[in-house]
Order: sequence, then structure tokens, then C-alpha cells
Amino acid sequence: MENATRMIEFIQANRGQLLQEWVEKMSSMDEQKLSTVITDQVYTNVGDEYINILVHDLINQDKQAKNKMRDFSQKLVQLGWNLNFIMDSLMEFSKIMFFHMVGEASEKEQIEFGWAYDKWVTPINKEVLNHYASSWQRTVSLQKIALQELSAPLIPIFDNITVMPLVGTIDTDRAKRIMENLLQGVVKHHAQVVLIDITGVPVVDTMVAHHIIQASEAVRLVGAKCLIVGIRPEIAQTIVNLGINLNQVVTKNSLQKGVAAALEMTNRKIVSVGE
Amino acid sequence: MNGRIPILKLYNCLLISIQWELDDQTALQFQEDLLSKIHETGVGGVVIDLTSVDVIDSFIAKVLGDVVSMSHLMGAKVVLTGIQPAVAITLVELGIHLQDVRTALDLEKGLETLQRELGE
Repeated sequence: MENATRMIEFIQANRGQLLQEWVEKMSSMDEQKLSTVITDQVYTNVGDEYINILVHDLINQDKQAKNKMRDFSQKLVQLGWNLNFIMDSLMEFSKIMFFHMVGEASEKEQIEFGWAYDKWVTPINKEVLNHYASSWQRTVSLQKIALQELSAPLIPIFDNITVMPLVGTIDTDRAKRIMENLLQGVVKHHAQVVLIDITGVPVVDTMVAHHIIQASEAVRLVGAKCLIVGIRPEIAQTIVNLGINLNQVVTKNSLQKGVAAALEMTNRKIVSVGE
Repeated sequence: MNGRIPILKLYNCLLISIQWELDDQTALQFQEDLLSKIHETGVGGVVIDLTSVDVIDSFIAKVLGDVVSMSHLMGAKVVLTGIQPAVAITLVELGIHLQDVRTALDLEKGLETLQRELGE
């Protein structure tokens, strides 16, 4: 482990210089993207912390080092730097270290040192990368859950009448969920009429229309009636231009008209109570 | 389980509740039984309750569709009730739409529908 002790000594001796060079490199690499947002101070802090971790890891390879690493990666993620930049920076530091330390060593020593250094620093970099990736994955899955929650709510508005407002684009996954929610909701609420409101659906293509038709068929099989409401002019145009046949389905242009029709179907109407 | 499906007469309706998964043989047997029962009793309506059926394959669906058309020919109106959401999804995905079949949410609503139609 003489290489290790050499490295520690070297880092401790030349810390200031290393850091300065590294920070310069980082800010020059990053000219276009982030430098307006990130000050040199931030680079210095981050760099300093990274070096701390390296040294700490080298001296005592224990659990604390792992924890420190985790904190550090979390911090990096929070800073919102892109992964590419982070990896480049870490590589850059390795390069700087290497050049400084093997200045006038023989080739064999260079290789030996390079090997030792690599063995030491790769797990650390990998850890950073891992954390970055996993936190990213977590974010994506959280957003997916949030999206699922928002995906297909079913709202009972009167006895036996429920509304499902759809907002946003519909893909196959979502269509499936919509269908399931719709049918389960119909059974649960004892709905006789279900209104699917597509006011918030920006594009209705053949696929979406197909899903909507399927949903309304399924609703009919379960024993309720399905109305499609909120057909905007441009949607009507697309539907006809695509040659989609919606004759089987009752359609209305607004939720209001749909509700009126639904009440009529269940033999009810709204009257004003004035004299 | 291979047995006959009981067909009950209730005023001017026939009441069938299918309580287990139908196999092909039972389904065909049921088709014959129902038609002869309609002939025998001369009822005006039939309610087939599918609440406890979790799976319907394309053959069973075809038989059900056939039964509905056949009963119609014999002058009896048929209502299918209590089709489970999962079953409905499967049927639609199989492309079986049971186009001219009346459906209702549960047995009660099915009988109401039938009474209304027969009353008119």
C-alpha cells in the first residue's frame, strides 16, 4: 500500500493546487450550460468535498466512508447537474492527479500507479453514478404513480349517473386503466349512464377512438349506457376525416348536454323551483 | 363440474343464474334446455345472470349470442345481467360485441328492464 500512502501525502500536500486546477477545468468545460447559474464557489465546495471523501476512503475504508459517499451523491443530484458533466468532471480530476503524480516516474511505475489509482477511485465514482441513477429512477417512478392517480377518476354526480373526465393524451396503458376504472366504477356506483368527457383530450386519433369505442362497448355489456361528451369541432373533424365510425356511441358536444341527456334516459329532469 | 344449468320460471319470465364456469358441453346443453323450456312455457322474457362468471371464452360468448338470437326468434326477449368488468373487457378485446343483446347491471335491474319492455 505504499502507493496509497504516497497518494494521501500528495493530495494533502498539493490540495490547494489540485482543487484550483480542477475547478478551472470544470468551469471551462461547462461554459455554455450551467456557468451562469453555478458560481466558482460551488465548484470549489463540491471539489473539496470529493477530495475529502477520497482521502477518507483511502485512510479508513469503513462504513462512514460509504455514508459520506451517499451524502455526496445526493448533493450532486440535488444540484441538478447532468450526469455527463459529473462523469466528465470526475474523469478530469483523475487526469489531473495522474499527471501531477507520475511527472518524472518510469513507465513501469506509471502503469503501476495508474492501476492502483484506478482500483481506488473507480468504486467511488461508480457509487456516485449508482446513486444518481437510482434517485433518477425513483423520481420517474414517483411521477408515474402520481400520473396513475390522476389518470382516470370517476365521479358520481347523480343517482345512477357518473362522469369520467379525461385530461391529457391517452396511450394504451392509460386506456386500459381507464377501461378498468370505468367498469369497476359502474358496478360499484350502480350507474345506469356513464359520461366520458373528452374535453381535455388534445388529440383523438384512431387508437384513442378505438379505445373509447371499446370502453363504451364494455360499459354496455356490463349493463349501463355510455355517452361521449365534450367533442370539440376539431375532434369531430378528425374523427370523420379518419373514417372512424362512432355511430354506435351517443355523442354530445358538452358535458351539460350530456347530463341533460343522461337525466332524460333515467326518466328525470331538472326543474327550477321558482314561482 | 358437469351438470345442467337450472332454469326457473318466474311469472312470465325464465330465470337462469349461471354459477360456475361453463364448459362447451354444458353451454350447448343449456342452449337446448333453454329453447325447449321457452317452447314449453311460452314465456315472454328471459334473464341470464352472469354475476358469478369470471371467465367467458369466445365459444361461450358465441353460444350466448346465439341463444339470444334464437330466443328472439321464438318471441322471448333476453337480458344478460351482471357481466363482470373483467369479462366485459375480455369480450370487447376478443371483438365480441353482442351487438343486439340487452344488458343490465344486476338481476333486479334486468327484471325491471324486461318488465318494462314486455309491458310496452
